This record gives sequence, structure tokens and C-alpha cells, in this order.
Amino acid sequence: MTDELYQNLHVECLISDASLARIQAKANKPRLFSVHWEVKTLLYIGILALTGGLGLLVYEHIDTIGHQAILLFIALICVGSFAYGYKKRKPFSAELVKAPNPAFDYVILLGSISMLTFLGYLQYQYNFFGTNYGLATFIPMLALFFIAYRFDHLGILSMAIANLALWMGVSVTPKKLLLNADFDNLTIIYTYLVLGCSLLALSIATQRYNFKKHFKFSYQHYGIHVCYVALLAGYFHNYDSWLAFAFVLGVGVLSVIMYLDAFRHRSFYFILIVLLYSYVMISSLMVRLTFSVGDGALIFFLLMYFVGSAIGFIFLLMDINKKLKAE
Amino acid sequence: MIIYNQTWLANLRLQDQVKDDLDSGLISPEEFKAITQKYLVGFYTPGIFARVGMAILTLIAVLFGDGLLAFMAASANIIESWGFVLFLAMLSYFVLETLTKQNNYFRAGVDDMLTLIAGCQIVAVFVMMIGNADGFNIAISFVVLVTSLWLTIRFSDRLMSAIASCAVLAFIFFVWIQLIPAGLATAPFIMMTASGCLYWLAGRYAGDARYINYRDCLYITQAIALLALYAAGNYFVIQTLSADMAGREGPVPFGRVFWIWTFVVPFVYIGISVRKKDAMLLRIGLLLIAAAVATFRNYYHVLPTEIALTIAGSAMLLVAFAIMRYLKVPKHGITTADPDKINSLDRLRVESLIVAETFSHAPDAPTDDGTKFGGGSFGGGGSSANF
Repeated sequence: MTDELYQNLHVECLISDASLARIQAKANKPRLFSVHWEVKTLLYIGILALTGGLGLLVYEHIDTIGHQAILLFIALICVGSFAYGYKKRKPFSAELVKAPNPAFDYVILLGSISMLTFLGYLQYQYNFFGTNYGLATFIPMLALFFIAYRFDHLGILSMAIANLALWMGVSVTPKKLLLNADFDNLTIIYTYLVLGCSLLALSIATQRYNFKKHFKFSYQHYGIHVCYVALLAGYFHNYDSWLAFAFVLGVGVLSVIMYLDAFRHRSFYFILIVLLYSYVMISSLMVRLTFSVGDGALIFFLLMYFVGSAIGFIFLLMDINKKLKAE
Repeated sequence: MIIYNQTWLANLRLQDQVKDDLDSGLISPEEFKAITQKYLVGFYTPGIFARVGMAILTLIAVLFGDGLLAFMAASANIIESWGFVLFLAMLSYFVLETLTKQNNYFRAGVDDMLTLIAGCQIVAVFVMMIGNADGFNIAISFVVLVTSLWLTIRFSDRLMSAIASCAVLAFIFFVWIQLIPAGLATAPFIMMTASGCLYWLAGRYAGDARYINYRDCLYITQAIALLALYAAGNYFVIQTLSADMAGREGPVPFGRVFWIWTFVVPFVYIGISVRKKDAMLLRIGLLLIAAAVATFRNYYHVLPTEIALTIAGSAMLLVAFAIMRYLKVPKHGITTADPDKINSLDRLRVESLIVAETFSHAPDAPTDDGTKFGGGSFGGGGSSANF
């Protein structure tokens, strides 16, 4: 049937003789069955299980003699992985460097996680970094950033960003942002804001100076979520003071900058993020406005607002989508 | 029956196919352009993020719209009757049909969400109507089946086909245990037969050119049937069900048969998948190995968790490296190379996000305050299986 389809296209002069020949040659070759993703998943879950198991092992047996043997094993894995990485490394470049083989990235991942486990243990048992807890998170963070850039590893970059947040005393992955939401403290809000802004600055610098441009997404992804969450939290925290206005302004400025950037790079993901967070902001302002006027038809009006605004935003999304495609 | 323009659906399939050819360099961009201009597709199908955003906004609009209607109807005291929900369901379905026809939505987010909402509302009507009557399970599984089947036929919706597949199996199960005296004891074998038949039927129709518009839906049905076929003989499932429904604690009769089933079926799946080069079977087989191990560990605590994890992790790594080494040069038509398709999700660097989510730990307070130091955390590992 497929063959007939291409014959038709050929008759209609939509594909050339050469293309038809290529297609037929490919159809006649036995099709290769790729287990690429399956093997990768197996590797990933294997690393997850192994490092998780080893971490637990040390944790459970920390008071017995045997734990030193386990630690030695972890250290060996770490050294072994990085030795492998060092041996197979490609020269550093500011551009995208493809991994020399499919397993490479996973070996580096294994090495990095075991390094974290090992350093954590050193700190716990021997107070390796003394009581200077900032240093205890700062050193692993530096190491992770170095590994991420040296071996061009996006996963490690994400870990490094998470460690950066850890060093600043906050957490950054979206799940944790939602779970730990203790935004009652203004210091935490400002810390998040600084973190988010620096990540966004990094994402812009990455692009501007053409240094590992493909890392931009990770910086921007974490930066934008952290910024918005911090700004919205700041708004609700200062609900009754004039500071709330500053946070609304912050959301506005951030949205404009991010929207323009996303539009320029044609990233619908970031446009969607900007729109949804802005929608939350606008809606909460709307609710506030309604309640401050306050009379009988209030709920009715709010319901109308939500129906209308949601439909309006759908049209807006469709419109942006069309514009992006047109370009 | 199907709401979509069938020529467009055929053209869309053609476009997808030549897009693959373009990506693997078999045809030139000019040829691709000429083909897509000749075989036009008029559907409105935005990208995945626009689709998600529109689905979220649709949900908001419908929730508040229904709230508005309920608010207006509140004075008439009809909100608690099923008639009002039926009215909302019909409204949702009407909007769904109209918008899909008018705007040529095809997997656009708005239609996906409306399909789901309409389906839920219809089922809710019957739940309210039937209440706590006898045979509730049978009736509701039947209602779910009819509703989701209709939505599948009308909109070729994959989620609905998954629901329909589950519903048909649930319906058979409930009818069997209710009508047959020794129903529960024989249920595993009936369910094995039923899901086997479902798999076979779906496979037959998926290969049939007349049902080509439903091919994706039928593949989903096949996947559900494979999972159900395994679950029907899984020791844990059977033991839990017989304890719940018949109050029979303790080991299951013919336990050995089910234990064999629990462990052999995943490997059978993988074996067949390698022979038939079927990715779906392979993935389900791999997933079920994990299920089999979990089942075993639920009854026999042979090893402490940490040692089991360490051994399992090492074993998986060894197997993965062995496969990679063995298949360095493709053998038996199998390769570990990246399929030469550009996966649109790759642009999102999904993998790196998953790594961050699973490996970054909470900002623990300074390490001296307790007994814990941040070792590897390993939550939600299984969820990363490529499905």
C-alpha cells in the first residue's frame, strides 16, 4: 500500500525519480528495530536504583564498621566514572558537544551522584568542611557546574542549579516549590527573587555571549518559574501594604521581557508560562477589585469574568500560535 | 460516524509519512512542500504547549460557566437533581460538536478537554440516577463503556479509547462475578480470555484499512489489553481481590499457577516483542518485570531494601551495557541507535528535567541536626519509563 502511495505521488510529479528510488531502496532494506529509548531508560533507572541503594546502605549502617567498605565502593564508582569520562572526553568547546557514546552521559551522571553521596558522608562523619555549611554546599555546586560545562551534560546542569538554590538556602525544582511553599517569610521570598533573576540573567548571558547556547533553556526554565512564584508570593504576603503594588509591577515587567524574548526565539513553552502566570495575577487583581467594590451581584460578576477571560485567553493563544507559525 | 473530514485525515497521515521521509533525507524540502500543498489538511492542530494551555483555559471556562448556570438555577431548587447535570452534559456535548465542526479543531486542547468533561458529566448523571441500587458496578461500567465508546467513535480520541477498553473489561468482570455462582474463583481465567480476545480483536481491526482512522485508538486498546492480561493472573491482584470481595485471606488456591504467570508472562512479552519487533510489547514487558519483582517482594522479604536496590541497580546497568556492547553493530535487525526521528519533546530536554526532579534533595537544615544526610533520593523513578 505504501508503495502504491509513492507511485501515485510520482505520477503526480510530486516526487522525483531519484527520491522515489531512495524511498524504494529504503523500503527494500530490512527495517531496523531501535531499542534506543528502552536501553536508555534501563540505564537511567539502574543508576537511580544503584545510587539510591548505596545511599541507603551507608545511611542504615553508619554506626557499624562495614560502612567504610561501602564508602570505599562509592568512592571507587565515583573515581571510576570520572576516569572513564576523562579518558573518553572530547575537547572543550563553547558549542554543543555530542557525547562520544550513548552510555557516556549516564556514566557521568553516576559519577556525579556518587560524588554527592560521598561528600555528604564526609561532612556528616568527619565535618570535612567544618561548621561552614555554606562551603559544604558551595563546593559540590562548583564541581557540578564544572562537570556540566566540561562534559556538556544538561542533567548535571539541572543538578547544579538545584545545588545553587540549596546553597542559597532554598529549593528550586517545581515539585518542591509547590510542596515546601512556606512563603510566609519575606527573606525567603527575596532569596527566591534573587535566585530567579540571576538564573534569568545567566540564560540571557548564555545566549548573548554564545557560550553553551543550548544551556539557555535550563536556566530560563528554572529562572522563570522561581521568579513568578516569588513575585506572586510577595504580592500575597504584602497584600495589605503598598509593597504589593511593587510586586504587581514586577510581574508586569517580567512578563513583558519574557514574552518578547520568547517571541523572538519562538518558544511557545515560555509564552504559555508567561500567559498563565499573568492570568493568575490579573485574576487575583480582578477578585480583589470586585471585593473592594462589593455588593450583591459580586459572585455573578466574578463568574462572568472567569468564563469570559478564559475564552478570551484561548483566542489570544490561538492568535499567538498563528503569528508564530506565520513567521 | 467520525466527525472529522476523512480526506483531511488521510492527507494528514500522508503528510506525517512524508515528514518522516523528509527528516531522514529521502525527499527534498521542495518536494515536501509540493506534497503538503497538494494534499491539504484543514484541521486546527496547534503545538503541544498551546494544546495544554487551551485545555487548561477550557476547563476554567467550563467550570465557571457551569457555576454561573448553577448560580442562576439556584433559586429554582433544581441543582441537586440529575436533570440539571444532564442539561450541563448536553450543553458540553453540544458545544464540543459545534466548535469541532465550525473551527475544525483536531486535537486542539479545547476539544480534548470538552470530550473529557462531557464524558464525565454523562457518567455523573447516571451515578446520580442509579444511586445505591443493586448492580451499581455493572450499570456504571456499562454506562462508561457506551459513553467512552461513542466519544472514541465520534472523535477518535485516544484517552476515550483507553477508558472504553478498561470499561469493557470491568463490565465483563462484574457481570461474571455477579451472575455465575463460582464467579470469583474462575474470574482470573475469564479475564485472561477476555483481555486476550480484546488484544486480538484490536490487532485485527488495527490492520484493517477500513478502520485506519482509529488505528491509534486500537493500539491503545491493545496496550490496555496486554496489561489486563498480565494483571488477570498476577498473584498480588488475585490475592487482593479475593480478600476484598470474598473476604478470603491467606494464600490463593492454585497459587503456584499464578506465581508462574506473574514471572513468566513479562518474559514471554519481551520474547515475542523481539521476534516481532514490536516496541509496545517490549516496553510493557519491561514494565511488568518491575511489577513482578514488586509482587514478589510484597510477599517474601528476602533482602533489605537497600541491598535489593543496589543489586537491582547494578544488574540493570550491567544488562544495559551488555546490550549496548552486543548491539554495537546491529544484529538480528535490532539496534540501539537513536531512531532517526526528531522527537518534538527533545527540544524541551525532558530528560534533564527528570534528572533534576529525582536527584535534587530538599534543602535540609544544616547536617548536624539529625541522623540524616542527603544521600541519593529516589522518588518516582519508575515514572520515567518511556511511555
